[in-house]
Amino acid sequence: MWQRGPVMLPSLFQALHQLYYDPNIENKNLAQKWLMQAQVSPQAWHFSWLLLHMDKVPEIQYFGASALHIKISRYWNDIPADQYESLKSQLFTHITRCSSASGTASLRGPWAAFHLGCLLLVALVTITYRQWRGGEADVRDVMWESCATQGCGSPGGWGARGMCSSGGMDALAAHAGEAMPSIDSGCACRYVNTLLKLIPPVLGLQEQLRQAVQSGDMETSHGICRIAVALGENHSRALLDQVEHWQSFLALVNMIMFCTGIPGHYPVNETTSSLTLTFWYTLQDDILSFEPDKQAVYQQVYRPVYFQLVDVLLHKAQFPSDEEYGFWSSDEKEQFRIYRVDISDTLMYVYEMLGAELLSSLYDKLGRLLTNTEQPSTWQHTEALLYGFQSIAETIDVNYSDVVPGLIGLIPRISISNVQLADTVMFTIGALSEWLADHPVMINNVLPLVLQALGNPELSISSVSTLKKICRECKYDLPPYAANIVAVSQEVLMKQIHKTSQCMWLMQALGFLLSALQVEEILKNLHSLITPYIQQLEKLADETPNPSNKLAIIHILGLLSNLFTTLDISHHDDDHESTEVKKLPVQQGPNPVVVVLQQVFQLIQKVLSKWLNDAQVVESVCAIFEKSVKTLLDDFAPMVPQLCEMLGQMYSTIPQASAIDLTRQLVHIFAHEPAHFPPIKALFLLVTSVTLTLFQQGPRDHPDIVDSFMQLLAQALKRKPDLFLCSNLDVKAVFQCGVLSLKFPEAPTVKASCGFFTELLPRCGEIAPVGQVVHENGKVLLQAVLEGVGGQASRSLMDHFAEILFALNKHCFSYLSVWIKEAMQQDGFPSARVSPEQKETFSQQILRERVNKRRVKEMVKEFTLLCRGLHGTEYTADY
Amino acid sequence: MAYQLYRNTTLGNSLQESLDELIQSQQITPQLALQVLLQFDKAINSALAQRVRNRVNFRGSLNTYRFCDNVWTFVLNDVEFREVTELVKVDKVKIVACDGKSKYGIRYK
Repeated sequence: MWQRGPVMLPSLFQALHQLYYDPNIENKNLAQKWLMQAQVSPQAWHFSWLLLHMDKVPEIQYFGASALHIKISRYWNDIPADQYESLKSQLFTHITRCSSASGTASLRGPWAAFHLGCLLLVALVTITYRQWRGGEADVRDVMWESCATQGCGSPGGWGARGMCSSGGMDALAAHAGEAMPSIDSGCACRYVNTLLKLIPPVLGLQEQLRQAVQSGDMETSHGICRIAVALGENHSRALLDQVEHWQSFLALVNMIMFCTGIPGHYPVNETTSSLTLTFWYTLQDDILSFEPDKQAVYQQVYRPVYFQLVDVLLHKAQFPSDEEYGFWSSDEKEQFRIYRVDISDTLMYVYEMLGAELLSSLYDKLGRLLTNTEQPSTWQHTEALLYGFQSIAETIDVNYSDVVPGLIGLIPRISISNVQLADTVMFTIGALSEWLADHPVMINNVLPLVLQALGNPELSISSVSTLKKICRECKYDLPPYAANIVAVSQEVLMKQIHKTSQCMWLMQALGFLLSALQVEEILKNLHSLITPYIQQLEKLADETPNPSNKLAIIHILGLLSNLFTTLDISHHDDDHESTEVKKLPVQQGPNPVVVVLQQVFQLIQKVLSKWLNDAQVVESVCAIFEKSVKTLLDDFAPMVPQLCEMLGQMYSTIPQASAIDLTRQLVHIFAHEPAHFPPIKALFLLVTSVTLTLFQQGPRDHPDIVDSFMQLLAQALKRKPDLFLCSNLDVKAVFQCGVLSLKFPEAPTVKASCGFFTELLPRCGEIAPVGQVVHENGKVLLQAVLEGVGGQASRSLMDHFAEILFALNKHCFSYLSVWIKEAMQQDGFPSARVSPEQKETFSQQILRERVNKRRVKEMVKEFTLLCRGLHGTEYTADY
Repeated sequence: MAYQLYRNTTLGNSLQESLDELIQSQQITPQLALQVLLQFDKAINSALAQRVRNRVNFRGSLNTYRFCDNVWTFVLNDVEFREVTELVKVDKVKIVACDGKSKYGIRYK
């Protein structure tokens, strides 16, 4: 297709056309490969200029520019030193032509600007190289000189005369900005004079920046901001170190501050301010990394700057007027929400620098705002200040701040006239929940607000999440308020004010709340809380199953399981220190959750009898018990026999994974409780028997059941291996099912199966039936493992297969050495791509390594790559 | 080059599994598969940086820390993860963190 030897233009055009437009991937790959070789050929110095002519289509011009860039970057030595000036001149001539063309009809659109940016980048790289080679060349002087030679005037005038189109400026700045880090920090400290000399021309763009902001030219302001931020962010440490030039750098910092505070709302009126946020992190990190003496000096200068930054950020975080906000699209609202989160992160970080004084400052401002009767504040201003508090309190320990009591005292004075403000009030209270736990006397200042908000569906997320936080953190101080909280919650639940998720959160909150009460109080409150739902469930249980009553049933079951998730009177999750003083004495008698579960058990069985075929309802039923078991642990014991019987009936009728998962939980918790284990043992044997039947019928449609079953077997081996001594358990059939499961396409199922064998094989010696089965059938297992390694299983599972091989090697060495030899003797097994020598090497390596599991994993990975024909490819270089 | 650390995620592993299958059936070359992976790296880095904005706070006890090749590795114990309403506690968390501000090289296309 194209000629070898010197690259000819027609060949280039043909190759480019093929690269962009040929539908065949092979042809595209070939074209790309050839073009990449062309770019680095000696002819590229010549043809790249030819391709840059304006009469060529953009794709060709771009290739020419890119080729030139590569030549200058990598083949600088090709250029004699006496040709540097000529080269720069040619570059700038072309930049000028492109700039002029971009302002006319001849070449519009992003290509011109991009092209321009590429060439400028080339020029910068050229100059940088020259500087490295020549010694003391001055970047700015070269650029100024070049611009003057071209009649462009100063860079500021250059832009002002529209040499760069507005689109061009942004692309220009993008590439200039990208070029800045190429003078990376290692070089920066050597050429810091050059960096310092870059600051004035950048500061020189301030006037243009102001004009762009005033005229609403977002692209220009965006571009100039990028230049300033690139210089500041990438070289702040080097520039900060120049103590004698501190004013110069401070001027740059103030320019960036102007960009942060650019007038207008993000993202509707401006999109520039967000570019500056990471700069403030970098500057802070650099200042705080100085030794204490030096840091103290810099703090004197920059603490006021950061206080100013806080004011600017809080101003930018303010919502627009209600009317204006009403016109924003949902996408703009979402972008604004994200922007506010970024501001929140920045404020949180800034707190590290400014400390408690920041909170005091915010508090003073808020206090003045709320007490100023002459000039009423806007809700936006109040909300922004609260948002600042919330941002800091959410993550920083504010326990030692002395302004929080005052803040809590101010909250009721806020006139909540707006949903966004109300939300922020709620979230601020929630952020202070840990503080409230240490200062419970203040709870009553905020709790009424939260309970009132619960009745407002617009505040659903904020009010429910806040109540949950308070109930979680302050539960031991809430008993005096418990009756009120329960009553309000009950009311909103009955009125169906909140969506399903928030209803579940509310039940979790109530679970926390009730945990701290005496048992009689818990039972009383539980009774009033769940009785309406029990009555509803009774009614639904009598109805013929249909889609709408299914939803209602699942909802009620969900409420119960969420309540039981957090209703923990044994206080397992409590922080030891805080409960030392507040912890209630250990409860005597049955756990109230168990009492309730026993009361509703028959009803649940009745529901189940009608809905046994419905996986979602069965899952919801299992979830109640699963969550209860996890919370109650040993306290669940009285329920074990009933639950095991129910699960057995359930699973015998319609096997479902959720039933196996619950069985696994029971095995895990009660394995070492001889008094409670017999029903669990019976359930385990029943589940195993039913699942084995499923395997005979064809397990492929039930990968979830197989997955859960393998996990159950592994758990049983871990916690109660003597289950495998039961005469009722067909160990051989279980083993064979495990081997079949290794061949499933679903990765979680295969992983669980590998886990089963990894637990089984070490038990060869101690459990006779296991040992016998492994010795008689281990070769089949090895075969399946090698098939997986050979390419049948996903590469991501190789570590798990390696663990099986390691276990076989450790516990069945003499058998393995025979099996592996026999298996590998088969032609083309486990892959046609590996030679007999490679198979022999792998076998020997595996057999030799009986100690280092990591090494075995490496060997298996290497062998699997060989089997798949991927060994030595760049594609798998990091495998 | 974008960071490659997301290749060992569910999405990344699923992609590699599909690519492996296409290579084995000779529908694509390993070279093309590599290009796809590189594109995946760019796409997921970009998506995680620009399109994901949920925030989760966490705190725990620092067990070990390591900084090597510009990558931080932390192991924390007894960690609490807090989202708007959820609190999850775990015994052990390993965090591998790469510099989010690093600039990428000049791309060919």
